[in-house]
Amino acid sequence: MRRALLAITGLAASTTALVVFKGPPGATQVAQNLPTAQPVNPTPQDVEPSAGPSGVAPKPSATADAPTSPKPTKSTARPSGTRTTTKAAPRTTTKAPQSTTRRVTGNGFENEYGYVQVQIVVSGNRIVEAVALSLPSGGESDIHSGDVRNRYDGSGGEVVQKQNANLNTVSGATETSNSYKQSLRSAIEQAF
Amino acid sequence: MRATLTRPGLCRVEQIMGTAITLDLADDLPPATLRELADDVFAWMHEVDARFSTYKPDSEVCRFDRGEVLLSEASADLRFVLETCADLWGATDGFFDAYATGRLDPSGYVKGWAAQVASDRLVAAGAVNHCVNAGGDVRVRGLSPSGEPWRIGIRHPWDAMAACLVLTGTDLAVATSGVYERGRHVLDPRRGAPASGLRSVTVVGTDLGVADAYATAALAMGTPGLNWLARLDDHAHAAITDNARQYHSANLPLTD
Repeated sequence: MRRALLAITGLAASTTALVVFKGPPGATQVAQNLPTAQPVNPTPQDVEPSAGPSGVAPKPSATADAPTSPKPTKSTARPSGTRTTTKAAPRTTTKAPQSTTRRVTGNGFENEYGYVQVQIVVSGNRIVEAVALSLPSGGESDIHSGDVRNRYDGSGGEVVQKQNANLNTVSGATETSNSYKQSLRSAIEQAF
Repeated sequence: MRATLTRPGLCRVEQIMGTAITLDLADDLPPATLRELADDVFAWMHEVDARFSTYKPDSEVCRFDRGEVLLSEASADLRFVLETCADLWGATDGFFDAYATGRLDPSGYVKGWAAQVASDRLVAAGAVNHCVNAGGDVRVRGLSPSGEPWRIGIRHPWDAMAACLVLTGTDLAVATSGVYERGRHVLDPRRGAPASGLRSVTVVGTDLGVADAYATAALAMGTPGLNWLARLDDHAHAAITDNARQYHSANLPLTD
């Protein structure tokens, strides 16, 4: 689950970057050009197959009830319920500032591991938050990380490394992250 | 980032066959042409799903499995798939087994085959620069939208958002079979138990269906699969063991 959180944070960050750079709403490019290639692992890291506890600490910000912040890279992995976000929009009798915040929920996508659904919070023409309302849970990944560390014996082969590279695509089962991307895409399509 | 917004071509994702199919057309063709090409690709993938899904009781595969369709009545595609699965069973010493679950399930070949056919059709239609990614099985041809050869990451077995190897090429079929997300779903068909020893196997060739079947077979073999892979002269491979060791053939088209 921790990895899922990190994965989401990465996805959310890159997608947000895209949308933020996109400029004014109306340009329909975004949906079609959502990158299939996410920059994988922007910081090169050494060795350690189990990137879990040792590699990267879980983000303290990834909690469900954290107040919405303007930071674009935030994400949570829990349903956020029905809380509404109000961006301090001072009301005046003349012209109200155009900083409305709205929530748009993407379509849900079923994959082999469960159900994935993403919600975005849009302020003006910016995505300020992307939340996974639903993600598959469980999996052997976490169990095996520790297992592998215990059995790590250093015999033969090279130690698996992480590569820092711009990629066009990724080979390997990527169902969950793709479902996330797809739900996010549909949310963006609805929002802009 | 801005460059990606003005790139030529078209990118589309759809959820089919229980997985995400991503099509990246890099040719600088008129938008209408690109849309038509993409429509054709996804129509084909939907057709394959409808006919080959083991989850749809009225699919041709299920009807054939129940004996409602005779081999002689089956579509040319189904006959081709069945023949190829039989060949793959032989080529993999029985480790690729479309009947491993007790019923006909050619999914381990069909996904890669469908993407391969889609890619072949794109080439025939003049879209020679593209990438088809069917749930992690990748077929690339020509150049990417940046005008450079495609860069294909191989998913890190312990980190879904990282790559452990990066391949570069203009004509590659790259299939990776791993036990990370689904847990140990690949059975050793000889023992009927989950395979162990290998965490993920990537096979690189020119036919995505075959590459996928080989990767699945080697994973099912476990550690002895490394030796089996090494004997595949016409394919390149990479494998990562449960103890986080990485092996690859000398002919693997690694970046740099």
